[in-house]
Amino acid sequence: MKELTITADAPRERLFVLGNEAIARGAIEAGVQVAAAYPGTPSSEIVETLSGVAKELGIYVEWSVNEKVAFEVALAASICGVRAMASMKHVGVNVAHDPLMTANYIGAKGGLVLLSADDPSAWSSQNEQDNRYIALQAYMPVLEPSSVQEAKDMMADAFKLSEQFRQLFMLRSVTRIGHARSDLVLGEISREKREGKFVKNRDLLVYTPKEARLNKPLMLERFDTIKKAVNTLPYNQLKLVSGAKLGIIGCGLSYSYTMEALKWLGIEDKVSILKIGTPHPLPEELVIELLKSVKEVLVTEEIDPFVELHVKALANEHSIPVKIHGKDLLPRVGELSTRKVTEAIIKLSGAKPPVDFAKLDKLEKETTPLLPWRPPALCPGCPHRASHYAIKTASKRVARELGKDVEAIYPGDIGCYALAYNPPQEASDTIICMGGSFGIANGLSHVVNAPIVAHLGDSTFFHAGIPPLVNAVYNKANITMVIMDNSTTAMTGFQPHPGTGQTAMGEEAVQLKPEEVARACGVKFVEVVDPFDLKAAAKTIEAAIRFEGPAVVVSRRLCAIIDQREKRKRKEPIIPYFVDQDKCSDKCNACIELLGCPAIIKEDGKTIIDQALCTGCGVCAQVCPYKAIIEVSQ
Amino acid sequence: MIKEFNVLITGVGGQGVILMSELLGGAAVKDKLKVRGSEILGMAVRGGSVTSAIRLGEDVYGPLIPTGKCSALVGMEPSEALRNITCLSKSSLVIVNTAATVPFTVPLGQSSYPTLETIMEKLRKAAEKVIQLDAAKLALAAGSLLATNVVMLGALFGTEQLPIKVATIKAAVEERFPAKVAPVNMKAFDLGYEACRQALK
Repeated sequence: MKELTITADAPRERLFVLGNEAIARGAIEAGVQVAAAYPGTPSSEIVETLSGVAKELGIYVEWSVNEKVAFEVALAASICGVRAMASMKHVGVNVAHDPLMTANYIGAKGGLVLLSADDPSAWSSQNEQDNRYIALQAYMPVLEPSSVQEAKDMMADAFKLSEQFRQLFMLRSVTRIGHARSDLVLGEISREKREGKFVKNRDLLVYTPKEARLNKPLMLERFDTIKKAVNTLPYNQLKLVSGAKLGIIGCGLSYSYTMEALKWLGIEDKVSILKIGTPHPLPEELVIELLKSVKEVLVTEEIDPFVELHVKALANEHSIPVKIHGKDLLPRVGELSTRKVTEAIIKLSGAKPPVDFAKLDKLEKETTPLLPWRPPALCPGCPHRASHYAIKTASKRVARELGKDVEAIYPGDIGCYALAYNPPQEASDTIICMGGSFGIANGLSHVVNAPIVAHLGDSTFFHAGIPPLVNAVYNKANITMVIMDNSTTAMTGFQPHPGTGQTAMGEEAVQLKPEEVARACGVKFVEVVDPFDLKAAAKTIEAAIRFEGPAVVVSRRLCAIIDQREKRKRKEPIIPYFVDQDKCSDKCNACIELLGCPAIIKEDGKTIIDQALCTGCGVCAQVCPYKAIIEVSQ
Repeated sequence: MIKEFNVLITGVGGQGVILMSELLGGAAVKDKLKVRGSEILGMAVRGGSVTSAIRLGEDVYGPLIPTGKCSALVGMEPSEALRNITCLSKSSLVIVNTAATVPFTVPLGQSSYPTLETIMEKLRKAAEKVIQLDAAKLALAAGSLLATNVVMLGALFGTEQLPIKVATIKAAVEERFPAKVAPVNMKAFDLGYEACRQALK
């Protein structure tokens, strides 16, 4: 039997999928024709999946240079009547915020869906923002799935709803939806193909103050229609239990935790439940019905009290005497879990705990100090390790000359190189947002007297690094900007970008070079180095730091993972290094303390190199003061 | 139909934890089971701790295993098994690969690694059935160290507690690997399966 794939035209068949694949499937079922995104965990696999089947489906998929452009690409397609989506992680929506705030003044013609992948617990993000507040601000209705299956179903429906109500919709995923796995029942695939048509319409599409004033009331009218309609959408469901004193409003995935908690406590038939699939706008009629039927209500939702505040406002407006709980009993920080919801329900219902939570907490407290610290680290052979080493060597040399107490400052950025914020590199003094390294460096240069050496990756450079680079030239910021070019977007799964010469659909493209961009922007010091030549790289970076004015160094080496893959494909040998135990001083540890490479380990007090992990980059051989690290072939 | 069976696989990035859960989940769907699961990708895979949950059965809603509700814990690495001790109850099954992966923070002197005896003692206190295996040795016997995860998958089925048929998971293993290495993995599965059965006797 042939295995089913994500594009299988097999309604009612079941597949085992990742949540993000399910979301992609939903878009396929809706007949999406344009999908654009900038990769970001936990959203990347959505457009990754679509890019892999774009040719087969005859649709257009792109990795855009950033989320703003991705959203504009999708918006343009919608304006032309074509179904389109833009997909991004929660903080990516910040980058797209500008067009987003005007998009619903226009409304959708072709179904338009923004996928926001929120990251409760900030598993792979710089913050834990709740994008339902952005949706609130943008008059953007939100669908929030309780399971992987519902994520697929909602995604497919979102395009239809968007067209029906002529409004841009948001699907709010979270890490435990996008990166959950589940069986998935497939639906039918729409085969409709539309021809994009741009109809000139100044009143709708050209935003001067006049059009803003003209279209805002129309948008509010559309939103009011949606507000009524959500009461009958299947994603919102009220189950009243007669005589129940407690009601729970479970939003999105929290509904699943709630149902599991009630079952665990054995009280699923004693509590009234309102399942919320549209936190914005709330199905007010259903909420009021629940509020009137119980004495106490618990709102379960992830991150901020978004639904809770609205429910409280409704109770107040309708003078319903009901006590409403939410973030007083559930944490505002971190993702929810069945346990957290269970404990909140116990406080309200007096139900007996199903396990001794205090005992398990005690066990955890006793166990934690025994465990080794296992932070994520740069891969063996990662060129960033060498770049960081060269940056630090060069910066320290210059800083020392400026004074005993002068320390170089290293503004960092988002990408694999951020992993080196851990020891031994401790390579980043700030990490705030995409492109933030260059921007922060600009500001620092006007208030402190120390070498300022900022770094970001090639994909991040094209995403948000060019405007602060131009700013440094224009406003004469005396900074060094290192672009760690590993020719991919490694952190999110090796997506192509403008510097790789390849598109999402596997086509060849013009390959932009960061050094050429920097020169064209007026940077007078631009050099390219190979980080694996530590001495030469450090010497060039030192010259860049000493240069008066903005300087750019492109530190270029292919990502170690891709490099190894390609070598294996070409059947090229990978020659590892080993430690000559006669020469090695076991107490020196310079290689370990300076580089922290996972391939260099200690065994019975001896320093050795794990032959299976070593990629043969040779960087450790360059830092060993005893010349004890040698290539195996020698 | 089974009500609830929760498998937690723990290890270190690069040990094939995700592949194991993909095999389990795919086989479960073939056997018409309801499946839920979750894992942490992104920053955690670069040498950090990895956990993946696969939950089977009618009563399963969420993607995560609630505290103390793990049916079987598969530890690809001893300290990573210990890290997840609070998922266990007395009735949980625990299978641990004894080969340690020591993180770079240990030689740097920033943390320490417990002895295998300490780890096993703690786990035995938490659950009644705890099995330790030298999975790497069995994988080498099967033909490749890379098959260590499949040895552990075989051991998981060797407990004979899973609601998935052995034939289904074996077919999934065979399909997943290229013809050249499939026999090595099939052998690895059988060696793990037998080792676990022997240990349980």
